[in-house]
Amino acid sequence: MTDAIPQIALKPLTWTPHLPPVEIEDATPRQLEAMKVTPSAKKVSPYVRTLAHDPDSYVARTVLFNAIMYAEGGLNRADRELGALGASLVNGCRYCANVHARQHARLKGAETISALFAGRGDALPPRDGAIMAFAEALTATPPTAGETHVAALRETGMDDAEIQDLIHSIAIFGWANRLMHPLGHSD
Amino acid sequence: MSFSNDAINAALGIADGSALDRLRALRPEFVAGAEACRAAVLTPDEDLGLSPELRAALGRRVANGGGNARLVEGYPLPTDPELALLAAGDMPDDPALAALARHSDMIANSAAKAGPQDLATLQDAGFTVPQIIALSELLAYTCYQIRVAHGLNLLKEPRP
Repeated sequence: MTDAIPQIALKPLTWTPHLPPVEIEDATPRQLEAMKVTPSAKKVSPYVRTLAHDPDSYVARTVLFNAIMYAEGGLNRADRELGALGASLVNGCRYCANVHARQHARLKGAETISALFAGRGDALPPRDGAIMAFAEALTATPPTAGETHVAALRETGMDDAEIQDLIHSIAIFGWANRLMHPLGHSD
Repeated sequence: MSFSNDAINAALGIADGSALDRLRALRPEFVAGAEACRAAVLTPDEDLGLSPELRAALGRRVANGGGNARLVEGYPLPTDPELALLAAGDMPDDPALAALARHSDMIANSAAKAGPQDLATLQDAGFTVPQIIALSELLAYTCYQIRVAHGLNLLKEPRP
């Protein structure tokens, strides 16, 4: 069935803030310290410099984000990326959806991403379908995720520790999407 | 390790040593990280001119939309009448607080609809760029908390 869906390759997007970011030469010592938390300190992105206006929350959230997306053990990386993607699609964050779709494709191949971007959620592998359904329901306001979603995840072999990791990857993107989408545009 | 004072355990209404508490203890970095974020958005060292009372009121307004009364209780109801209106989900008379109320409702309920004009509206109401960033983090933090609490609540019945 999925053979009928053409494989897609997503091009990276560029994010540009609506508000003026912190300029490095004007940054306070606290802002400079905060921006060091970035993975690549050589060139600090406009996104980081925008959020560095409030260095305390930037540092705390980045530490939590890295724990949720990259912690050892538990749910595999591809499934965490799919949770992030599900949240981003519901929240209308094109930039996050693009980044995490490409991450998922890199880890697992383009089949699931191609199906999602072709509007063929029905063609997903069962585990990916259960993850997407849960991500969408948990991202809704108020959340509508229920016992049947959890039962569907458990049926694919996911244990409670892995579901806990999935909940956090979906929830942290409810947060990230609410920064990236309202504070800038991507193209 | 005991997490009895953390906001998510309080929202879940679970005791130390319960099955869900033990599940959470598998990821101590998630628990500690969320608590550090709570302090950073509600009671930061540098408040950027946004008082802890205002921050808690806004958090309570957003938490009201999550359908978890215990989570709402984690944000005390302010005594200031205007902030109490903001916290309760009503529309404050103060124009700046009213603009903030409208913005937070939109971000919490339909974030996909957000656009640059919404930020311009906040700036016109008198909020600075650093304040808008801090408020954005606070709103989004509460939305995160709602979803973690909702999701973990579904794991109260351990795998059969």
